[in-house]
Amino acid sequence: MIQAEGRKLPQHNSPIEKFLEAKKLYLHLSQHTGKPSRLLLKPQDKIEEGDLIASGGGLISASLSSPASGTIKEITKFNHPVLRKSEAVVLEADGLGKSYSVGEDVSVLDKSAILDKIGNAGIVGMGGAAFPTHVKLKPPKPIDTLIINGCECEPYLACDYRLMMEKNDEIFKGVELVSKIISPKRVIFAIEENKSEAIKKFNSIISTKKYPLPSAHVAILPSRYPQGGEKQLIYVLTKRKVPLGGLPFDVGCLVHNVGTLYAIYEAVYYNKPLIERVVTFAGGALKKPKNILVKLGTTVKELFDTGALEFKTEPEKIIYGGPMMGIALNGLDYPVMKGTSGILFLTKEEIDTRDEDVCIRCARCVDSCPMELLPLEFVKRVKNQEYSSLNELYIKDCIECGACSFSCPAKIPIVHYIKIGKKYAVNS
Amino acid sequence: MRLTVSISPHIKASRDTPKIMRHVIYALMPATIASLYFFRWPAFFVILNCIATSVITEEIILKLRRKPSGIKDGSAVLSGLLLALVLPPATRWYAASLGAIFAILVAKHLFGGLGNNIFNPALSGRAFLVAAYPKMMTTWSEPFTLSAVTGATPLALRKFGHTLTPVSNLFFGNTAGCIGETSAVLLILGGIYILMRKIADWRVPLSIIVTVSLISFIFFLVNPLNGSVLFHLFSGGIMLGAFFMATDPVTTPVTKKGRIIFGVGCGTMIMIIRYFSGLPEGVMYSILFMNSFTPLINRISRSRSLGAAGAIAIRRKR
Repeated sequence: MIQAEGRKLPQHNSPIEKFLEAKKLYLHLSQHTGKPSRLLLKPQDKIEEGDLIASGGGLISASLSSPASGTIKEITKFNHPVLRKSEAVVLEADGLGKSYSVGEDVSVLDKSAILDKIGNAGIVGMGGAAFPTHVKLKPPKPIDTLIINGCECEPYLACDYRLMMEKNDEIFKGVELVSKIISPKRVIFAIEENKSEAIKKFNSIISTKKYPLPSAHVAILPSRYPQGGEKQLIYVLTKRKVPLGGLPFDVGCLVHNVGTLYAIYEAVYYNKPLIERVVTFAGGALKKPKNILVKLGTTVKELFDTGALEFKTEPEKIIYGGPMMGIALNGLDYPVMKGTSGILFLTKEEIDTRDEDVCIRCARCVDSCPMELLPLEFVKRVKNQEYSSLNELYIKDCIECGACSFSCPAKIPIVHYIKIGKKYAVNS
Repeated sequence: MRLTVSISPHIKASRDTPKIMRHVIYALMPATIASLYFFRWPAFFVILNCIATSVITEEIILKLRRKPSGIKDGSAVLSGLLLALVLPPATRWYAASLGAIFAILVAKHLFGGLGNNIFNPALSGRAFLVAAYPKMMTTWSEPFTLSAVTGATPLALRKFGHTLTPVSNLFFGNTAGCIGETSAVLLILGGIYILMRKIADWRVPLSIIVTVSLISFIFFLVNPLNGSVLFHLFSGGIMLGAFFMATDPVTTPVTKKGRIIFGVGCGTMIMIIRYFSGLPEGVMYSILFMNSFTPLINRISRSRSLGAAGAIAIRRKR
């Protein structure tokens, strides 16, 4: 793992603002890991906020509810950071809101009732991977350790930190619900030391014993990247290694991001589906970096058009996600999705544009690889087109975290070569 | 709006290859300056000659290979400096130049240039000169003399004269020997600098030093005339070799485990040569010998990726 400069200020200290009045929403049917959602409506249909737009499209999929009341204009291909163009529902909001009130008594709900509510709300992992949460909460093996992921190890991002600061009771209520479903033996809150205020808050809540959680404690971790990765976090906290191709439940662990827990809380207590999220908008090109609660489908362009965000200078790069794993965008016409934790507007000074040099085999990539792989060997073999030997080096274990490229003194875009290698390794 | 679109990560560590080479050169400065004090002008001219010849050779070859100039990466300067530091002060100018040409042309570029060579260029250059000019390469100057008066190195004195040089002389560098090898304390200082800057991995020098200490301790117990632990550590090329030659990234293993195997191998070879061969010193041959094992060491010390060991177990169960 590597120690990268956090660059969390000033967004770390800016409270969550709201921008819920977007006029036009672009809702992708593919905004989670797994099969796309199955569309239930057609153009010109009127819809209320919170109504189902699309249901889960398979065993691993998530449903999608409407973030606003309004009319469906069309179903079209729209910009998608990963898929480039993908099927999206275009919703024209009429500005009518909806208030969510406390539903029935939560304490009487049993396991399956809670799970149903989470599934119906279309909740996915909010840390970035966007894996459907209701699937994750039905592990085929017993879980002894529930890990609450508050690491937020990518530089710039601060949305999880703000949630931990402002919605900590809600997060604990979410943890309580999850712990009711999977009944773990212990609950670990993993927070990096650069979030000392959040650590204090969580520790004080645990000490009040307000929420009956089995042996809960906060694990204060050194700030390192990619510590917030599921497999890395499990290893750091429990020294257990998730097998290749396996999932955390194989080693009795379950990891949930704090944002996901907040969404679970809202879904179960208020019957509110996942229709909005906190996104960090940061970078040197912005006049004022912000954490904003926005409706899913809100485009970056609309945020600038309405003045919610303002440029200080022209950005050199716009990044969907964090600076380590995020995707560079070609414009502002991209919508916020369920897994969007941040969108960055970086100046030339903030990014690295140095040219690729020759590898001197210094092995910094090897030392930094959280999966203990040999990145320099991947690069060498991909350059020589020796694809058949890549699988022997476990290229598929690579999580593309970018720690190798970050630390490479020759500035070799190692992840780029690995992506090519993965593609051909499968085919050979 | 004009936007750059490229692959992640979008931020990178500031350290680059030229910076790494520069730091190693800085780390060698104390020992280099001390060598000018001990061996005066002859040392100065050998150092200048080796660096200039290396850089010129590198530039000509890169031009012939139609590659961009490599002067800014500093690797040729470093190879030249390292070569000069392992030559006797009385090396003649043509020999020093030939050594530098061999290092850059044969050891480095015939194997593919920076990053692809199997053997350490500076040590290869020295090995070539030992074979080509055996007499010149064993003609040593006593410190503070301007002419070569065939002094003997402490290791040669131990082996052939059965006398041991005081450890304090070895420590400060007040002995006959190669230009930059004599002052153990300054080399350790430079070594600590590159370890703290995380330019080199501590595993390599530490495993060499521990191995040499252990072996020499056992032999010292058998017969004190074999030389004490400190005598062996501070004489000859061990400090320069351990901190600056065996940590050359290009020619040494990339895995942490592999670096320890490499260091233990070097240390063992050094002591075998010192005790059992016709040569008084063996750092150069030991490191070159272990260089040839680097690909093999990389292969056997490859770490199973996080979780892969478990995967194999799962597959077997099925």
